[in-house]
Amino acid sequence: MSLQVKAREPLKAVEKTETVRRGRSLAVRRTRAGYVMSAPALLFLGATMLFPLAYNFWTSVHDVAIGDLLTGDWQFSGADNYDSVASEGAFWHAVRVSLVFTAGSLFFQFTIGFALALLFVKTFPLAGLFRSLMLVAWLLPPIVSGTLFRWMLDADAGAYNELLRLVGLDSLAHNWLTDPSTALPGVIAANIWVGVPFNMLLLLVGLQSIDPTLYEAAEIDGAGPWQRLRHITVPMMKPVAAAVLLLGLIYTFKVFDLVFVLTGGGPVDSTRVLPLYVYEIAFKLFQLGRGAAAGTLLLVIPLIVAIVYVRRLRKEGAT
Amino acid sequence: MSNRFDRRSFMRISGSGVLAAGLAGPLTACGGSESGSSGSNELIWWDYLVEEARQPGIKALIADIEKQVGVKITRRSFPFAELEPAIIKGAASGDLPDIAIVDNTSMNSFVPQGLLTDLTDRVKEWGQSKAYYEGPWNSGVIDGKTYSVPNNSNCLCLYYNTEMLEAAGVEPPKTWDELAEAAKKLTKGDTFGFAMSAIKTEEGVFQFEPFLWSTGGDLDTFGTDGAKALGFLKELVDAGSMSKQSVGWTQQDANTQFVSGRAAMQINGPWQLPALQEQTKVKWGVVPIPIDKEPASCLGGENWVILKTSGKADQCWKAIVRSQEKTVLAKYLDGLGLLPARSDMADAGKWASDPTLKVFVQEFANARPRSYGPNYPQMSQAMAEALQASLTGSSSPQAAARKAASAITPKLKK
Repeated sequence: MSLQVKAREPLKAVEKTETVRRGRSLAVRRTRAGYVMSAPALLFLGATMLFPLAYNFWTSVHDVAIGDLLTGDWQFSGADNYDSVASEGAFWHAVRVSLVFTAGSLFFQFTIGFALALLFVKTFPLAGLFRSLMLVAWLLPPIVSGTLFRWMLDADAGAYNELLRLVGLDSLAHNWLTDPSTALPGVIAANIWVGVPFNMLLLLVGLQSIDPTLYEAAEIDGAGPWQRLRHITVPMMKPVAAAVLLLGLIYTFKVFDLVFVLTGGGPVDSTRVLPLYVYEIAFKLFQLGRGAAAGTLLLVIPLIVAIVYVRRLRKEGAT
Repeated sequence: MSNRFDRRSFMRISGSGVLAAGLAGPLTACGGSESGSSGSNELIWWDYLVEEARQPGIKALIADIEKQVGVKITRRSFPFAELEPAIIKGAASGDLPDIAIVDNTSMNSFVPQGLLTDLTDRVKEWGQSKAYYEGPWNSGVIDGKTYSVPNNSNCLCLYYNTEMLEAAGVEPPKTWDELAEAAKKLTKGDTFGFAMSAIKTEEGVFQFEPFLWSTGGDLDTFGTDGAKALGFLKELVDAGSMSKQSVGWTQQDANTQFVSGRAAMQINGPWQLPALQEQTKVKWGVVPIPIDKEPASCLGGENWVILKTSGKADQCWKAIVRSQEKTVLAKYLDGLGLLPARSDMADAGKWASDPTLKVFVQEFANARPRSYGPNYPQMSQAMAEALQASLTGSSSPQAAARKAASAITPKLKK
């Protein structure tokens, strides 16, 4: 950390002198031009993000059924929808499932991704090819990867059980996705497979941006591979790792399609993550107001994480 | 130097990524196009009959209606599961059809939501309601008012593999006991004796309800009769006669098991007949679902509805009436491989001569609609979870039924 702060100082000095030299009016003009130029982007954000969000919130404080959409006759209901969602056991169950799903996915995605990144940062024959092949998992639509895993985890004709039988571990063959106790691990496994390349790629970029002279200097001082990893790679990777984990958390927390295809939330409710719960309320039970309330609650956790992260970024930028 | 720059820009980019990812909620699906009908004789028509093989039949019907009624029809079709959400979203954006063919369970939610035109007076004047089977017709009657005309019907029966039954010396079962015994005898190696969809959606509930009704019970006695029906199916699983995988199977999956010889018997509907008739791998027959106390089957099918937002109810009604003329309807049903909802057509089409189709048509007499009112989606979900909990063994049939009953009962009273 100290190394990083020291290195940053000279650049800041240059920035400062530049602003002073250019004078005030230029700064004002530049700000104005900035607003004009960012207007289209802001409009786009407003129309595609802020409006739906506001609309969702508006819906969540009203008692809305399908027919009310036609008449526009919405009854304001205050926090009723939130009350009714938060008092439902199924909601808290979904929160728990989501947390387990997210934590399990992130832990393995990150560790496997990090290990692979450490491997691919080295140059060896065909490294480029393997690296690109890894990306396939990330590029596949969730519908496809979900279907793939559904087949592979199938009890009677699935590849996993077949493999277990082949090596004589018949007793481990299992109804992975239809047993309530293994369905969630099965879904997490599929999501790990999907997320590893994303983690690997970002971590790889991070690894590549570490100044090689640091390693050379350490090596001259007699640091072994473990010490280099422990004292150079890990500290230098901390900010990147934080970014990867936070992005992963937000992304994983709202995974819907993969789970929907794999288990539809079942058996019973063992894999019903929060986004599926929201979907069921809104589009299976047609309780639009409650669905919107649950949707808003679903936003809370990722939003808190996002705010904390952006704040940290700002702080770091200010030092 | 390069190190610092890289990391910074990387952080900036990922920072905006975080915001974007965090903000994009799951429920932002709204908006839509302003289509609306333009010409005074133009009707917008929605359905979910997307299968390639069905297109000529529908196009012929549309052409006939256009000619006879003097309207111009603009059709849009959706995959089955997307029609209902499309109508809901359409209600929000004002983009609704004039006329639609919808699943008969949709009546449970559409009518109380005030989406449909009341057809009671028109039906009375028309005077043909008595020509329909009671079950299909009543699926569109809510609080004494008629909101739909059934177009076609289906129900569930038991398909069996004739060669496997002969080899095992088993007769097609008629009662639950016979079913359990036959399924046990037919279970060998990779083959399960019995298959049905028990998936966690209305599809699985549709398959389960005949067992519930057959006990003589209904949703209001789910705590006891539901437990009995769940217990029976659970015994099939425990005996190894039914795969635990069935909690993830759709009806299509069950049929795949049957066609590939991995299931000797299955519960399924007449929509599987074209596929079964095409293949030569298994020989099969059809009988009614085995019974406990009463014969029962679950009624499915599509109904005609006119949306309340349509300003052209009269033209829509004329279109419906035309579609229900026996000659027009017979041609349409034959072309699409569907069965009639009219009892006066029992001897009019393919189904009159085809022995397997006949079983389904006769079973209509025992088939019940799922007309449980606006709270049916919640009841359905409670039953689906009870079914899954019992079959996977995560709770006993009694406990699962009790839990479901406590969710269902307050919804029934309302």
